[in-house]
Amino acid sequence: MHELSICQSMLRIVDSAMEQQKGSKLRKIFLDVGRGSTIEPVLLKEAFAVITDGGPYDGTELVINDIPIAGVCRDCEKEFVYEELAFGCPNCGSTNIKITAGLELDVKALEVDD
Amino acid sequence: MSRVDIERKIQDENDRLAEENRKVFTEAGVFVMNIISSPGSGKTTLLEATLDRLAERVNIVVIEGDISTERDMDRVRARGASGVQINTGGGCHLSSRMVADVLEDLDLSDAELVFIENVGNLVCPSTYDLGEDVRMVLLSTTEGDDKPMKYPAIFHEASLAVLNKIDLLPHLTYDMEKVEKEIRVLNPEGEIMRLSALTGDGMDAWVDWIMERARAKKASLADGG
Repeated sequence: MHELSICQSMLRIVDSAMEQQKGSKLRKIFLDVGRGSTIEPVLLKEAFAVITDGGPYDGTELVINDIPIAGVCRDCEKEFVYEELAFGCPNCGSTNIKITAGLELDVKALEVDD
Repeated sequence: MSRVDIERKIQDENDRLAEENRKVFTEAGVFVMNIISSPGSGKTTLLEATLDRLAERVNIVVIEGDISTERDMDRVRARGASGVQINTGGGCHLSSRMVADVLEDLDLSDAELVFIENVGNLVCPSTYDLGEDVRMVLLSTTEGDDKPMKYPAIFHEASLAVLNKIDLLPHLTYDMEKVEKEIRVLNPEGEIMRLSALTGDGMDAWVDWIMERARAKKASLADGG
């Protein structure tokens, strides 16, 4: 939806980390993007290509770890992942579940040339 | 090649400013609600109905967020709110930066409540903390009873879900129990309210809920909490 402004925020984090890398070339940015985060990886890569074109990160690869929505049942304690959004515990049918993953939007790491 | 660990949320910058906003609101002793919904769910009508019930005894500030026009700010001002309209010009959500910018010029000295009416959008505002006390999602009965699971982020993030336009239920095939069940799956700790901003059904409970929390916040601040 607003992948361009997300890219700008991401690049501010990257810029600040790269200041400590003294002239190294940034090869890859590793991101965790949860399926419930509202950010679409394909659009994020497109926005990234636009925003880095001709700049110091032109050619840097965005490596996105797509994280499914996962939960745990508070009643039977079973953990599960939603492939499709169905609700309720697949084990006992309870709706007393806690969503444990799938909302991430994190810069995990960078890969730089030494 | 070497790996540099970062481990930072992309929303860090927004979150940091949101905390600054939170401090400003706390210093002013105001209770702040961020209202998020699709266009047409009834955010402004709910604010009008709330102002009708409260504006005479409680000083209420509204921060309106829209892509364009001052229509919503005009409506709430006519019912006794003071405040400011933010026009994003195309932006699909309010950010903590936008709220921080208007806070500089907003007089909160006599205010008790601040409502932030977000841009009509059930997707993007969910990931932007503005510095509020409560993030509320408003869903109306005319939007279909399959929505919570289709918009998991906002129903997970919002601590209060308000189901509006219950007066229209006789005219709709709408499974309210199913909607509430889905919301509880996405947010077991969240609260759910049903009301009609138009007819007033459920509005007393809504007003009481807000005022109780506003007073609790003031009391805990007075205790140095």
